Amino acid sequence: MNRYIATFYTHLSAITTLRSLEKVGIEAALGPVPRRLSSSCGVCLRFEAQEPPLNLLDEDYEGLYLCEGQEYRPIVRQE
Amino acid sequence: MQERETKFKRIVKDYWLIILTGLAVGAAAVILSALGNPKNMGFCIACFLRDGAGALGFHSAAVVQYVRPEIIGLVLGSMIIAMIGREWRPMGGSSPMTRFLLGVIVMIGALIFLGCPLRMVIRLGGGDLNALVGLLGFIAGILIGIVPLKLGFSLKRAYKQSRIEGLVFPVMLIALALIAIFGGGYLNNSVEGPGSQRANFFVALLISAGVGALCQRSRLCMAGGMRDAVMFKDFRLISGFIAIIVAVLAGNLIVNGSLSFGFENQPVAHTDGIFNFLGMTLVGWGSVLLGGCPLRQLILAGEGNSDSAITVTGFVTGAAVAHNFGLASSANGIGGGPVLIVVLASFAALILISVFNIAKGGK
Repeated sequence: MNRYIATFYTHLSAITTLRSLEKVGIEAALGPVPRRLSSSCGVCLRFEAQEPPLNLLDEDYEGLYLCEGQEYRPIVRQE
Repeated sequence: MQERETKFKRIVKDYWLIILTGLAVGAAAVILSALGNPKNMGFCIACFLRDGAGALGFHSAAVVQYVRPEIIGLVLGSMIIAMIGREWRPMGGSSPMTRFLLGVIVMIGALIFLGCPLRMVIRLGGGDLNALVGLLGFIAGILIGIVPLKLGFSLKRAYKQSRIEGLVFPVMLIALALIAIFGGGYLNNSVEGPGSQRANFFVALLISAGVGALCQRSRLCMAGGMRDAVMFKDFRLISGFIAIIVAVLAGNLIVNGSLSFGFENQPVAHTDGIFNFLGMTLVGWGSVLLGGCPLRQLILAGEGNSDSAITVTGFVTGAAVAHNFGLASSANGIGGGPVLIVVLASFAALILISVFNIAKGGK
């Protein structure tokens, strides 16, 4: 299993993605975005999955990162 | 043993910057008051924007008119450090008009209480127990504001903007600073009252720029701290809030030799508990919907966020409205205008904004 963090442009987008993940049995936790990922004070989702669930991300996601120890490796980002 | 050590290291890593920022903000507030700013008002985003509105003639309350360099310093400090850290990102377009109105409401609430959340904390550190009533109202407002957030409230996303768009607000502030320095005669300047009490312009500008830089790095936010603590049991941001109180308490003890705890005769404060509470409830609720307290809006505006810059113009407009229509309080009590009616209308507006921005079906 891999650990992921997804960041979003809006709180709503995070909640919507949380519901999509839960529907396919992926447990995710909402929390503040780690400072190293963003200077914004929005929310992120932390979850574990085998493959990056790109199709489950809401359209207003900001980025998806793979957690490797203390590092975050970007998988996909959008402006 | 090793596990405990690792946990300790992680806590230090997570908390050191936000606590340092809180201590620096508290220390800066005490120092600025010692250098001339009003007591328990070393920093106040609401009061200082209101003073700026008065300096530009947007309201005619003669005792609160002055271009406060602290506002300019906070924004420029944030902008410079964000540029250095490659975090200066012009963004905007997230319901600007709604944010403007929320800015107006938050400012009216803050001027009924007599301070933004930052000054509320500074007043607490100065022993002003009216601020404790304000804090209860602020917490109530945040708890109310979290409900629509959980139900799917959104002001929609912001999009990347041009560099010019991100620079307009900071450049306007630089122009204002230049006018204050070289053309002060064109501006209104209080000769008595809180607006006449001021630290040296350049010293205040420098201190505030340092504070602005720290706030950008740490994301210090009074409303965000409460939100994270309640929603996620994450206490990082709120630890900055507590650090400010500790620094102000210690600083006041060092500078004044004593603390005067109580409700009566506190500097630039009134004792009307109901309106202290309701004013800060408006501020808390509005700040959660905006995604940050007034201090945070200035810092985000420095990072190039034009939604926050619009919100700040809402604050300035709210200050003018509050003083022109007798809504702003003074040390003598609440204003002589239709304060209760406006408070009720503001709550009605917050309800409508909250409800009508909840996405149907969660999206």
